[in-house]
Amino acid sequence: MTGTVEPMEAAHHERPGPSEPSLLEVQDLGLRFGGVKALDGVTFDVRRGELFAVIGPNGAGKTSIFNCLNGVYRPQRGSITLEGADLLRKGPAEIAGLGVSRTFQNLGLFENLSVVDNLMLGRHHLMRTGFLAGMAWWGRAKGEEVHHRESVERVIELLELEPFRTQPAGKLPYGVQKRLELGRAIAMEPKLLLLDEPVAGMNLEESEDMARYILDVRDRLNLAMILVEHQMALVMDLADRVMAMDFGVPITVGTPEQVQSDQRVVDAYLGAAS
Amino acid sequence: MRLPGTTRGPKVHGLMTRRYEDDLRLFGSGKAKLGLLALVLLYVFIPFFLTSDFWLSVLDYAGIAAIGALGLNLLTGFTGQVSLGHAFFIGLGAYACAQFGGPDELGLPLPVWLFCATLFGALVGALIGPFALRLRGNYLAIVTLGLIFLGEHLFRNLKDITGGNSGTNVDSEASFLGLDFADLSFAGENFSFNQGYFWLIWGLVALVTLLVKNLVRTRPGRALQAVRDRDVAAEVIGVQLGRYKVGAFAISSGLAALAGALFGSYQQFVSPDEFGLVLSIQYIAIIIVGGVGTVFGSIIGALVLGGLPGLIDKYSDSIPGVSTGSGDSGFISVFSLNQAIFGLLIVLFLVFEPRGLAAVWLRVKAYFKAWPFSY
Ligand SMILES: Nc1ncnc2c1ncn2[C@@H]1O[C@H](COP(=O)(O)OP(=O)(O)O)[C@@H](O)[C@H]1O
Ligand SMILES: [Mg+2]
Repeated sequence: MTGTVEPMEAAHHERPGPSEPSLLEVQDLGLRFGGVKALDGVTFDVRRGELFAVIGPNGAGKTSIFNCLNGVYRPQRGSITLEGADLLRKGPAEIAGLGVSRTFQNLGLFENLSVVDNLMLGRHHLMRTGFLAGMAWWGRAKGEEVHHRESVERVIELLELEPFRTQPAGKLPYGVQKRLELGRAIAMEPKLLLLDEPVAGMNLEESEDMARYILDVRDRLNLAMILVEHQMALVMDLADRVMAMDFGVPITVGTPEQVQSDQRVVDAYLGAAS
Repeated sequence: MRLPGTTRGPKVHGLMTRRYEDDLRLFGSGKAKLGLLALVLLYVFIPFFLTSDFWLSVLDYAGIAAIGALGLNLLTGFTGQVSLGHAFFIGLGAYACAQFGGPDELGLPLPVWLFCATLFGALVGALIGPFALRLRGNYLAIVTLGLIFLGEHLFRNLKDITGGNSGTNVDSEASFLGLDFADLSFAGENFSFNQGYFWLIWGLVALVTLLVKNLVRTRPGRALQAVRDRDVAAEVIGVQLGRYKVGAFAISSGLAALAGALFGSYQQFVSPDEFGLVLSIQYIAIIIVGGVGTVFGSIIGALVLGGLPGLIDKYSDSIPGVSTGSGDSGFISVFSLNQAIFGLLIVLFLVFEPRGLAAVWLRVKAYFKAWPFSY
């Protein structure tokens, strides 16, 4: 988990076999807001290196799953474990330290900070400099800044953010902001990356670029991803397995082909569209 | 997971080899080095050329205000926590100065009482922080307003320490390594109280500026700004909100107390009336006028506004409609004029230039970079 500078061979991506132990296990999750059942009986697992997709119409509860995984929401029922560690007992900052990172549906960038600073914040949990060491600068702080700035530079190269290094995040074009958020999430060197509608609001060209970056990330960094989308096309191209949801309840889990041809999934989407 | 390395060895961009260490230098460019040299020369020589006690006192008050404003800007500008309680911590520092440094009290030497007053402010801040910072926005402003009233009550009633309503003398020694800043003589030259304090105060401004600048460009300072910009996202990337909010509050309170200690030692006398809501609002005006969320803005704001009360007091005779003393019938008193000007500046800047003079300065600099090719 340290940002060493050695190059790593691009790992050839293989679909993980069902025999491998799961990285993440979610059991019977239940989340209510007053009378609204946002999640009910949600059970799934994500394997190492897997790209797991969650689809469903707006309001199906996709973002709520992420908020539970992150510790932002406290579900009333169920369990979430990452490599055996119980995430429900932990706060968001601690969960980040265990290797879960995320992008937000409506962007969660630090708008007044530069691209480099946003990415450096992704390294926050890997760094140690405290208030006093930071004020003193010479010693730990300086060494850490240089070291992690190098890791950040590799993210910049991977996502082609070179033209934007010193620009404030809030001033970037929308598509670049989405990419920067992906960058900040991978700068965290997570085991599990949660992407909440990474192509929402993008035109076709931007969406295709983003899909390419996601594939790049998956191939270069050996990590598991959960991809939330309400459009099916992207998911069908990228995902190893798909879970379809409607009204907070999972309808089915399977390969993209299986899910696509499932009559209940088609009905949920038609129902939401009418 | 590990980030892949895409190149081996030092990063090469075009023809240049890039070293991040060079990027991280505070005074990297030749221009910045020249600027630094100019500031050092000003620091050393201003008291030689500007010997007027009045103008030196304006600069001395401005320097004290700069230290306090750096503290408030760290909390409000960089961490996004609005506090009306800054004057409370300034007051704590002033009385702490008398206690730690007074010859009839602990009688500690200059660096020690400065440090102890700062630490005392920071500790009180760290104790109060966890309660105050559960709240956000306007609620936080109201709770910190409560600190002002609590402070005034304590300052008026703890008579043994504060002298009550009539105030107390602050006669802490201001000497360090044989240099008595209150009565400085060096290389056969004698300097006035105001000259000596100029070097003391602005030396500390330089030190505090460096510390705060380092803080905001490293891990903890970035975390503060992340909390300000988007607290949920900050938590999700691993920033512990409570820790950083309380840390910012403690450092801000410590710097306020340092400013207060200098204030007390400079005036040699303090009374509870000086640490009311008006002082808090003056500090808010300083960071708004200077530039919220910039280190540099805290200092410009203090230079522009820190000496203002003194200036108004001096020139009130020549401002029509201002009553200057007893029996003098005027439209507005000096005190109210002060408040009105600070209030007006807050409103004007919030409406017309919310990013303060620091932003104006950056625009001017950008203009002259292109000069003479600007149109
Ligand atoms: N913080 C909240 N307070 C109240 N209701 C919420 C909150 N977050 C989500 N919900 C409700 O939970 C349901 C699922 O929302 P969400 O997870 O955002 O869906 P999706 O991401 O699939 O569009 C919706 O009915 C939504 O109104
Ligand atoms: Mg959503």
